[in-house]
Amino acid sequence: MKRFSFVVFAALFAGAVAAADEIVLSGADLHTVSHGVIERGEVLIRDGRIAALGARVDAPAGASRIDLTGKHVYPGFVAADSLLGLSEIDAVRATLDFAEAGEINPNARALVAIDADSEQLAVARANGILTIHVVPRAGDGGLLTGQSALIKPDGWTWEQMRLVDPVGVHLFWPTARMPAWLPAQAQEKAAEALKKKLGAIDAAFRDARAYRAARQKSHGGTTDLRWEAMLPVLERRQPLFVHADDAVQIREALAFAARENVKLVLVGGVDAWRFAATLKAREVPLILGSAHNLPLRRWESYDTIYSAAGKLAAAGVQFAIANDSGSSGERNLPYQAANYAAFGLDRDAALRAITLTPAEILGVADRLGSLDVGKEATLFVADGDALENFTKVDRAWVQGHEIDLSNRQTRLYEKYRGKYEGKAKK
Amino acid sequence: MATRRWSTWTALAALATSAAGWAATVQLPGIDPVEGLRDKTPGHIALTHARLVTRPGHVIDDGMLVMRDGRIVSVGAASTPPGDALVVDLGGKTVFAGFIDADSTYAQPAEAATPANAPPAVAQPYTPVPQQGSRHWNNKVRPERDLAQQLQPDPKKAEALRKLGFTSVLSAPDKGIFRGQSALVTLGDSTRLNDVLLKPRVAQHLALEFSRYPAAEYPASLMGSIALIRQTWYDAGWQRDYQAWSARNANAQRQEANLALDALQDSLAARQPVIFAAGDELDYARVLAVASEFKLKLVIEGNGREYRDLERLKAAAVPVIAPLPLVEAPAVEDPERALDVALSDLEHWEAAPFNPRRLAEAGIPFALTASGLKKPEEQFWSQLRKAVASGLDEQYALAALTVQPASMLGVASQLGSLEPGKAAQLVVADADLFRSDKARIYESWIDGQRYVLHDSAAPDPRGSWQLRWSGVDGPGTLDVSGELGDLTVKVGAVSFPASYAGRTLTLYPPGSLLGLPGERVALSLELGAAGAEGRGLADGEREFRVSATQSATRARTAAAAPSSPAAPAPVRFPAGEFGRAQLPVAQKAVLRHATVWTQSAQGRLDDGDVAIADGRIVAVGLNLKAPAGAIEIDARGKHISPGIIDTHSHMAVAKGVNEGTHAVTSEVRVGDVVDPTDMSVYRALAGGVTSAQLLHGSANPIGGQGQVIKLRWGADADGLRFGAAPATIKFALGENVKQANWGPQFNRRYPQTRMGVEQIDHDSLVAAQEYAAALAKPRKGAAPQRRDLRLEALAEVLAGKRIVHIHSYRQDEILAFARLAQQFKIVPVFQHILEGYKVADVLAQLGAGASGFSDWWAYKMEVADAIPYNGALLQSQGVVASFNSDSDELVRHLNTEAAKAIKYGGLSETDALNLVTLNPAKQLRVADRVGSLEPGKDADFVLWNASPLSSFARVEQTWIDGRKYFDRNDDQAERARIQAERERLIAKALPERVKALAKKDRKDADRKEPDKSAETPAELDLVHYANLRGPYHDSEPVNTCSAQEAH
Repeated sequence: MKRFSFVVFAALFAGAVAAADEIVLSGADLHTVSHGVIERGEVLIRDGRIAALGARVDAPAGASRIDLTGKHVYPGFVAADSLLGLSEIDAVRATLDFAEAGEINPNARALVAIDADSEQLAVARANGILTIHVVPRAGDGGLLTGQSALIKPDGWTWEQMRLVDPVGVHLFWPTARMPAWLPAQAQEKAAEALKKKLGAIDAAFRDARAYRAARQKSHGGTTDLRWEAMLPVLERRQPLFVHADDAVQIREALAFAARENVKLVLVGGVDAWRFAATLKAREVPLILGSAHNLPLRRWESYDTIYSAAGKLAAAGVQFAIANDSGSSGERNLPYQAANYAAFGLDRDAALRAITLTPAEILGVADRLGSLDVGKEATLFVADGDALENFTKVDRAWVQGHEIDLSNRQTRLYEKYRGKYEGKAKK
Repeated sequence: MATRRWSTWTALAALATSAAGWAATVQLPGIDPVEGLRDKTPGHIALTHARLVTRPGHVIDDGMLVMRDGRIVSVGAASTPPGDALVVDLGGKTVFAGFIDADSTYAQPAEAATPANAPPAVAQPYTPVPQQGSRHWNNKVRPERDLAQQLQPDPKKAEALRKLGFTSVLSAPDKGIFRGQSALVTLGDSTRLNDVLLKPRVAQHLALEFSRYPAAEYPASLMGSIALIRQTWYDAGWQRDYQAWSARNANAQRQEANLALDALQDSLAARQPVIFAAGDELDYARVLAVASEFKLKLVIEGNGREYRDLERLKAAAVPVIAPLPLVEAPAVEDPERALDVALSDLEHWEAAPFNPRRLAEAGIPFALTASGLKKPEEQFWSQLRKAVASGLDEQYALAALTVQPASMLGVASQLGSLEPGKAAQLVVADADLFRSDKARIYESWIDGQRYVLHDSAAPDPRGSWQLRWSGVDGPGTLDVSGELGDLTVKVGAVSFPASYAGRTLTLYPPGSLLGLPGERVALSLELGAAGAEGRGLADGEREFRVSATQSATRARTAAAAPSSPAAPAPVRFPAGEFGRAQLPVAQKAVLRHATVWTQSAQGRLDDGDVAIADGRIVAVGLNLKAPAGAIEIDARGKHISPGIIDTHSHMAVAKGVNEGTHAVTSEVRVGDVVDPTDMSVYRALAGGVTSAQLLHGSANPIGGQGQVIKLRWGADADGLRFGAAPATIKFALGENVKQANWGPQFNRRYPQTRMGVEQIDHDSLVAAQEYAAALAKPRKGAAPQRRDLRLEALAEVLAGKRIVHIHSYRQDEILAFARLAQQFKIVPVFQHILEGYKVADVLAQLGAGASGFSDWWAYKMEVADAIPYNGALLQSQGVVASFNSDSDELVRHLNTEAAKAIKYGGLSETDALNLVTLNPAKQLRVADRVGSLEPGKDADFVLWNASPLSSFARVEQTWIDGRKYFDRNDDQAERARIQAERERLIAKALPERVKALAKKDRKDADRKEPDKSAETPAELDLVHYANLRGPYHDSEPVNTCSAQEAH
């Protein structure tokens, strides 16, 4: 019920391009993700949703038909661990809003700081990134960094862009890894700091539980925003996203989640493949980071990271693939999945890991992530295999509303192409 | 009574720990007024019943050594001592020449206390300290420092070193780059340097030091350090030449005084050795290169990893001073943490004790030093004996402490062996000193003075004794066993404590044994040659006596020489994981039926062949005739492309990619600090990369000289160089060089604006022009020209011999430099150049190359307008464009970066692949050798399982110079080897590690609570410590363009 109202809300305030009531996308290969590829099929979009799809659909006479012969239709990519909207220019502090001060900020809300006019959002969506999980990050020593939000890159304000908020609370597990070449003093200091951080995590959960107990006993009382934000996590109504990459972090995070009895989603997981059996047995979902990372350790094979996804899939772990190269690189999400596919992950599984699986992990698989009747018409048209770097995204719809794929970069391109073609005046 | 007892103890203590009072002392001839009585004790001494090791390998079993006035007079077989000599019977103990430690900090005055306030937590701009004296301008260049002017002998420390057997040490300065000159001193117990100084200014000491974060003093990188060293030697030569010229020319302009350069003249003329510290195993080559450039008389101060570069050291025939570092077992007890231990580190742990043996077997002259050990008093001999147990021949071990250091330090005629005429520096010890932890050092002799640790002639109390009592009834026999410091005494089944000091054996039998009351009775026996006499007190007041004769002795026998264990397997290069036992060989081969992306006029061949021989491509085409003897490789279904070339990389650069402390540092050379052990090289190779330009960072307007390499993984630094590639240099524009993102405190260094950047480039190029002009037309009889490495590199730019690669982003700065380039007739390659598309016409007109990222943007203000269409737009205007990585990660998939140009701007597939093959080759001016598959070019190519432009493509093989440097199948086999080796070594290290942890636990339990007030450390930013990262590191992304900001 609640979820439905969001959709209506969003539709009412939809952006610049007016949506036709009923659209038929015709002639393209439909990459449904959920049930294979329908070659030269049709999709009927009505009221922002997929009303029908198949080889042919029964469309009302008034429906506008878009001929996409030779093209490919995909469900929108889901950026499962993103900074989009919270970051504009990395080196300009004034444009960065993803890391609050201090260690314990479970109450911070990513949603309210999302800049709907971010140039980066426009660039990302132009490559098919149509659902975005915006995650508050750890700044200097941050641990519980805040609550993430799931948005669509379409709307006048963050309120219109909201799909789910909050999705969950994020915990960035501190690392014990330290390059051996650092001076001993720095090593000791870091080890000391690590101990303190681990203590701070324990203390935060202990305090939040104490708060919860006090609240249950005496309704009312004073409100602590931090512990209030933790209640849904403690009550397993929301997942706790724990960001952990190396083996020690993952080991500790898994133990911690078991101890605290929270609904764990592991994020990052460079070494997660070493825990594949545990993740599978405990049904811990994973948002796996980029393939485009170097192995953590000198002795590891060059493809240690590339081949991780294939190993996780073989073990039956539920995982999404995310992009951790910052917001400006979010458009390259599909190539992270493709790189995993080049080294052992099935290609369909790679596509699923950036569409349907993240939708499942983020709790919106009933709305997004695949081309299925009843799901939101959040999809795009490409001129080839969308996992190939050379493939162009031609058009895109978000909840049935076609979005403008032009952006600062295309505008500059046109402008300077004009300069050389003698068309434009400066 | 009480007073008397006290004085007895004092005397005993003195005897035990210091110079024996009765021994002859020698007063050295000197000028000091004598205080009190003159010491005219005769210094004529004969050591008899001595086993003399006159020099390594030469032993006189029962010999006599005679010395007079601190010199050895005779050494030979036992004979009658001279009548006027004091005879010291050594009771068969062994005499070695006194040991020399060639790398010590003995007697150096404590450093002036540093100010109490801690260094700033953030980097601060460098503020020069006003200089004292006529020095070199750089604080780390202090060759005039003369330790003979500063040392303060310290009898306590001297004694500690004598306990290890040392009689002389080289006290060497240990801070700075040109550290100053060392002094050789004896370890006599005088506090006057005049008494102990054997030789001043023994050597000039150098090290590849640089300043560390947060300091920002030049140099702040290894390459800066090397550049400063080279410039300083050239300056010393110039000073010499200028002074000679001045002497011939009456009207010569006076040259400024510089005591630092004066102090270098002896070593520059090879009259004084240069002891040059190699901090890690890649430094040997660097140190040797400097030494050979300036023809220095080199001694290498090693680091314990010499075994990893033996061939080079052997070929150089340069002596080495090697430490005996304690390599602790790696942290392998926790399986998850053990993942972080590299195979190369595990291997080093196993191999380190074999280092001295390897040096000996290679015939490299080496000395061993206690330097670098935290607790030499505990560790020096155990480390040395471990080396011997690992197969180091004892003769070499002895040589490394005697004849070798004596020869390196130019005192071989004085020290190092027991020969008439040499200084009487001796050490008396057990024969098995080099192999048994139970062996003792008894005494040492320095300048005819005896320093006793243990009485060498004292009888050994161990064995059976027959006792005779008077005044009491005691047992008849006594049995003494154990170590001299820890004796066990037994009568029948009763054992009791005892101690042996001086020649007094003190026993504490229970009273019952003597029929006396009391728990313990103290009983002391004075041991003599014939037997022992002793006494005790019954009931605390009645003296009784005992005499004893030894019926059987149980003196310890010398430990047998150990059998030599097998040395660990020969080292690979790089050591450990993915290292090679040998380099791949050039093959004669024809690859058939592949899709061949020739990137030449031949276009893409669908069923093509490529033939290679002698490292070159012989033919490309359809149905080629195989060259005679060529192997056939079926490449059906595969794609072959030219090797990928990256014009912008910072991989394989050791200890700092940015000098950056000065605005102009064109003298520094990345080529000096290539790190062939960087795994990034191998990983890039696995991504199809065959050549790369290693660039200086972009922290300053004019950075350092670049190095183009081929990714010949397994070769050393020299072997990586791409010989045919012209020289390059890095310039930079924009935010990084004006320190825009370094923090508000960085607001002083010129330039702070793009206005200033343009001017400093202009000014530097003008300076280089004038420098080149002066060199080109030397006037007859003119003053010698100073060779200025900074301007020299820029003069090469002006002469067209060095290509400028200029980091740039915004169109204004690109245009400004383009105009400067036109003015100075240089044709640069613009790097990054993400707004190049705005001025593509200007670039085309200039003929400049443009090498950028495919689609990076938004990481700082000056890249807000970066667009992925850049490459296509540049290309459309006729600019040679390429894509580069600037990243050890991105370099691994430049092929798919190129593919993006098809989507963004509509390039053809061939043009897209050219962005990472032919075009970068053109920009590096090596297109005649690489970049396309054409007959005559180097056989640098990649075998792919799919189109190189596909996201799903995987490299199967990468070839360079017709040699297969990467093969996915070989890689799989190597993984299995790594796995097995790691398992073996972890299992081997575990017991030692567990023991060490238990020890540490005990220590921690004893330790007091740590200071709670200690501040929480700031988050560690590894980039700041990048210049500390040595070889064999993981792939931390610390090598970035600017010290503060990436790219």
